This record gives sequence, C-alpha cells and structure tokens, in this order.
Amino acid sequence: MSSGPGGEAGFPATTAAAAETPVARRRRRALRDRSTRALAPYALIAPTVVAIAAVLGYPLYLLGKLSFQQFGLAELILQEGPWIGFDNYSRLFHDRQFWTVVLRTFVFTFVNVGLTMVLGTLIALLLTRLGRFMRLLLTTGLVLVWATPVVVAVNIFRWMVDFEFGVLNWTLTRLHLGDFLNKDWFADPLTGFGVITALVVWGAIPFVTITLYAGFAQVPEELVEAARTDGANAWRVFRDVTFPLMKPLFVILVSLSIIWDFQVFNQIWLIRDGEPEEDYWLMSVYSFVEAFRLGEYGFGAAIAVVMVGIMFVATFVYIRQMIRIGETR
Amino acid sequence: MRRRYIGALALVAALTISALTAAAGTSSPDRTNATKIVIWLQNDAESSWPSVVAATNSAFKARHSDVDVDVQYQTWGDHLTKFDASLAGGTAPDVIELGNTETTRYMANRLLQDLTTSSGSFPNSRTWLPALKDSCTYRGRIYCVPYYAGARAVIYRKDQYKAAGIRSAPKSLAEFQAAGVKLMKRYGKQRNYSALYFPGRYVWASMSFVYDYGGKIAEFKNGRWQGTLNSPQAVQGLTRLKSVVTALSRASKTGDEANPQQALVFSKGRVGSFIGNGWEWPYALDKKVGNPSLASKMGAYPMPSHIKGKYMPTFLGGSDLAVPITSRNKALAYDWIRTFTNNTQMRQLATVGKVIPNTTTLTSLHARNPQLAPFANASKSSYFVPTAPNWVQVENARTLQTMLQSIFTGRSSVQAAATRASNQITSILNRRT
Repeated sequence: MSSGPGGEAGFPATTAAAAETPVARRRRRALRDRSTRALAPYALIAPTVVAIAAVLGYPLYLLGKLSFQQFGLAELILQEGPWIGFDNYSRLFHDRQFWTVVLRTFVFTFVNVGLTMVLGTLIALLLTRLGRFMRLLLTTGLVLVWATPVVVAVNIFRWMVDFEFGVLNWTLTRLHLGDFLNKDWFADPLTGFGVITALVVWGAIPFVTITLYAGFAQVPEELVEAARTDGANAWRVFRDVTFPLMKPLFVILVSLSIIWDFQVFNQIWLIRDGEPEEDYWLMSVYSFVEAFRLGEYGFGAAIAVVMVGIMFVATFVYIRQMIRIGETR
Repeated sequence: MRRRYIGALALVAALTISALTAAAGTSSPDRTNATKIVIWLQNDAESSWPSVVAATNSAFKARHSDVDVDVQYQTWGDHLTKFDASLAGGTAPDVIELGNTETTRYMANRLLQDLTTSSGSFPNSRTWLPALKDSCTYRGRIYCVPYYAGARAVIYRKDQYKAAGIRSAPKSLAEFQAAGVKLMKRYGKQRNYSALYFPGRYVWASMSFVYDYGGKIAEFKNGRWQGTLNSPQAVQGLTRLKSVVTALSRASKTGDEANPQQALVFSKGRVGSFIGNGWEWPYALDKKVGNPSLASKMGAYPMPSHIKGKYMPTFLGGSDLAVPITSRNKALAYDWIRTFTNNTQMRQLATVGKVIPNTTTLTSLHARNPQLAPFANASKSSYFVPTAPNWVQVENARTLQTMLQSIFTGRSSVQAAATRASNQITSILNRRT
C-alpha cells in the first residue's frame, strides 16, 4: 500500500516548497489509500451483485416485461408479443376471482405463519427443559422432518388422509370420534386446507424450533433467575425477559416464514394431483394455471409481478431488521 | 452482545437457506443430432400395447438402421404444458400423440405440419375413421394422422350380477339403476363396495348423461360460443347423474377415473361395474397390477339411455399423431407414423389394445369379438366436445371437473354449479386464440 506512485518521483522539488512536500505527499497518499480502501468493498461485492443480477434481476426484468404484453401460445412460438400496456393489470384488478385468491392467500399465510411460530416456540422452550437423551431424540426428529423432501412428505400425507385406505380415518373411527370411513378430506376446502396447513406447518417447524432453541441458549441465566426471584412466573419470564432479548430473531423468523408460506405451491399442487380445484388456488397456483395451463403467459406474469410486490414488503421488513442488527455493534 | 450472537445466528441460517435454494434446480439441455427422432406417446401405449410400439420400432429400424427412435411416454395430465414449453424452447418432439379434443388449438395456431398434400402417402388415408379425420381437419386442411378411437361401455362382473339376481343386461337407465340397487343390497355391506364405481371428476362419462337428455356443453351461435350446461336439458341430465352416482357409487368424489386407475380398483373385487374404455378390460386382468383370475367373470354392455332400448351417447375419444412444425426430421417422422399406422400394427392395436383402429376397413374385427363388440356398438351413439380452438383450455382449466365435484359433494346445487361452469366456458371459448 505504501509503494510510491511513479509520477511523484520526477516531481521537481523547489527549495521553497521543500518543507511542505512530505506533508502534501502524505496527505495525497492517504487520500489514495482511502479511495482504494473505499473501492475494495465494491470490488469484493461485485461478483455477488453480478451473479444476483444475472440469475434474479434479468428473469425479474423479463417477468415484468412479459406482464405488459399479450403473450399466448402463438407469441410463445414467435418469442415476441405485442405491447398492451396495463391491460393485463386492469383485467387482473377487475377479476373477482383474483381478489378472492389474494384474500385466501393472506389468510393462509397468516394462519400458517401463526401456527408455525407458536408451535415452533413451544417446542423450542420444551427443548430447553429436556434431558440430554430426550433432547437428542427430539432434535433428530426435527432434523429428519427438515430433511424430508416436499414430494415425499406430500405423498406420506396423502396416504395418511386417503379417503379409503388412510390411517387418519381409521384411527378417528377407532377412537369412536364418529364415522370417518370414506371421509374425503378434500371434498370441503376447509378440511382440505386443514390437511395442507398441517403439512406446511409440519415442514416449517424444525427450522423455527432449532433456530429459536439456539437463541434461547444465549439468554443470560442471571436475568431469568433474577426475574424468578422477583416472583415472575414462566409466562412473565418469557414475556418480559426472553422475548425482548430475542425480538430480532423473532422478527427475522416471522418475515422468513411469511416469505415461504406466501408462495406455497408444491404442497397444494402435488396433494391435489396437479389439478387443484379453484377453491384451493393461492396466488402462486393461480398464476401458474393462467400461464401454463391456459396459455395466458402475460396475464400469469402480471399475477406474479403483484406477488413479487407483496413479497417485497415482507422482505423489506426482514432486511431492515438485518441492518439494525448490524448497527447494534 | 448476546443479541449479536442471535443476529449472527439468524444471518448464518438465512444464508444457508439461500445457498440451498440456489443449489436446487440445474438442468442439462438435451443435445439433438440428426439421426435421432423423438416420439411422444401417451402412457396408454406403454401399459396396454407396448408390443405394437416395439414392433413398429424394429420395422422402422430395419429400414433406417442409422436412426435412433426415442419413445417418451407422457401422461394426459401435463403433456400439453410440456409440449408448449418444448415448442418455445425448440425441443419439441418429432411426433406427438394428441387427444382428438386437443388438436384444434394447435391446428388453429399453425403449430402442426400441414399434411394435406402428403396425406395420400399414409396407410388407409381414404378410409380413416370420419370422427378422427374431422379432429385432424382445420379449415379444409389436414394436420395429423388418426391413431385410434375409443368408446366407453359398462364393464361388469358377471358373477356378481348373477348372484344379485340380474338376468340380462339393463335396457334402460331405470333398469340400470334398479340392477345397481340389487347389487348394493347383495354386496353393499362390504366397506367401499360400489355397484357402479364412478369417481366424482369423471368428465367423459358424466357428459354422456347431459347429451342423453338432449343437453350440450356449448353451442356456436351468431359468431360466438355460448356455454349451455345450464340449459334445462343439461341440468336434468346432471341431476339424474347425481342420483345414480349417489345411490350406486362409493368412489372418491374428488378423484378421477385415472387416479387410481378405475380398472385396477375394479380388479380388487369391490366393484360391480364401471364405465370404461375397451383397453381397460385387459388392464384389469394384467398379471402385475391387475387380477388375471377375473378373466372368465368379466363382461361388457353399452350404457343404456334413459329411453328404453337406446344407448346413452358415449364420448368418442381418440388420439391422433402429428408432426410439430419445429421438427427437423419430418421425413423420418412421417415414415415412423406410416409404420405405426399400417394394417399390421392397426390389427394388433385392435386385438391387443382393445381399441377401435383408425380405419373403417378394420372395424369388422370388433363385430366378431365378444370383448370388443360392446364398445363398437356403444360407439354408434356418440357425442363430441365443442370444436372450438380454445376448447382444450376448458379441459386445462378443469372447469367440468370442478363443476362435477361441487355437484357430487353437495357444495352447490346442480343449477348453480352448471351456471357457473357454463359462464366460465363461454368466457374461455370466446377468448382470443
């Protein structure tokens, strides 16, 4: 870093300026150092930015472009569609089905994130209280769930709730909770979504639990004990000591869960055999059906763009939290 | 400070996840060379007449020893999604099997090779089944080659009918239902027994009821398509369908005839009858997945109409073979189709596959065969879907499935479900192609 730039060596030194030269030189060098140092982070981050722009930015740009075009089967082959401005969007916003789907997606996300967080927290708290063996057993179970591919999980759930051979109907009937033989869980979207929610929450809990458990382990024992001595019960300790300390982690987990649950697609698509009924359409499914089943690629893209917009809000909260954590050093 | 750990922890976790997501999904493009032709056939060929495909390939290879034939089996559920994508990506097959309800959209968009001038070079082109030839014709030009047709009939258990005291094949819908009630009385105590196995999303058999009562799916009037499932006749047919299915079937109301394959459900013994294609009969007897011991206990008869002595119109389904315009090996593709549809293979297809071959000169094969005659007879009274360029989008949107499911589960009244479906059909059929 301190190697002198070549140009300076041949600088004519006058006697009057001689006294000042080292200072000026040092100042100039410091300036150069600072600018290289300032550039370094950009150089380091450049590959990442380029990669993200290539794999994420460009497709996103294409998606946006597509949403302003009339793009059907014929255009797909020609690889070019006529520009139709906001037609796809105005059609979308006047589409009653779209608003039903949006509302359904919000409710689905809310229920799933809520259940994931509550159950995940409870299991994490349980983990802190367990002995070594049970803790190991439970953690292993959680990791196995986390490692189960979605396709496999969906098939397992499908068989469990199968209307004819499913273990769920058999068990419920055996427990004398009513006649569940031949109960078709997907005939009513409410029970159908019950199954899907169970599947999604089941798959999401391990990450939340393991992360929170690691977080709980960092809560200073002294604080908890002090609170206990002051007569706080378990709930008070959680509310006033543990939770405030862990708040950033909760915020991050909630926003990550929102991002995941908002775009659930595989579980619904697979559990309904690639032919989900309209009652089961979330935004992701609606966009896919319009684009790839009905060949309305432009309209499907418009739905996807709206989805990306909504997701961006959730991501924004997440990123802001991350930045704040960076600032607390 | 503790907070920092927690934050760092979350950061690590988040990064791990994005790394995992980024790692998923890599694909390697298929390299194509000039000496390979890719054929997309539906998996019906794989399950019911693999020998015909094998014989075709070896006959073809005998003439073109330097050409590889790659037959890739597809499923009805998603082959069009894949086909559309492959057309855009330039990886479309050289030959594709299309259902006869699926061709119009591709013909209208000029995506299939025009065969009008070369059609004479294909075997039996003068005697192709008219219904299939129609499905290959758009504005007077021919875009595909008929492959086979299928009609549905009632496939039943002779032994169960006898034990329940049913002496002859029902001659009317009322008799059919009465026979079913007898079966339910005799066997209904068995959990999951169905006198008529009829899954809720079985579109093709359901629409037979609509057409039997004089209804239609849609009509072309004054330059516009109009969904007509909410007409009094159609609603009457659907209402009758609901009463028959509710009384006689314990099949899933949210399943369809292919998931699980109804012939396989039948082969497990708890089904008295089902409405199936000719090829589903041998499939039920398959050594690996079916039950060969039922061979002597099976029979078939055309589904009777609500008018005594008549047959209920059956959906005249079928398949065609087309060459996408993107194919780089068109001459080879034509030659493969010629081999696959010559008299030798068609004869095999009719006897092994139990389907109706693509030429009227071979239909006599069926009249003499008790396993084929009921289906050939059933096909004499048939219906077809609206021949709109957008029809396949109605299939793709699963509009009829959704309607049937809400009717059978009682989520909405017949009238309400039919009106909703009808409006949706009107809107889809009138969309710009």
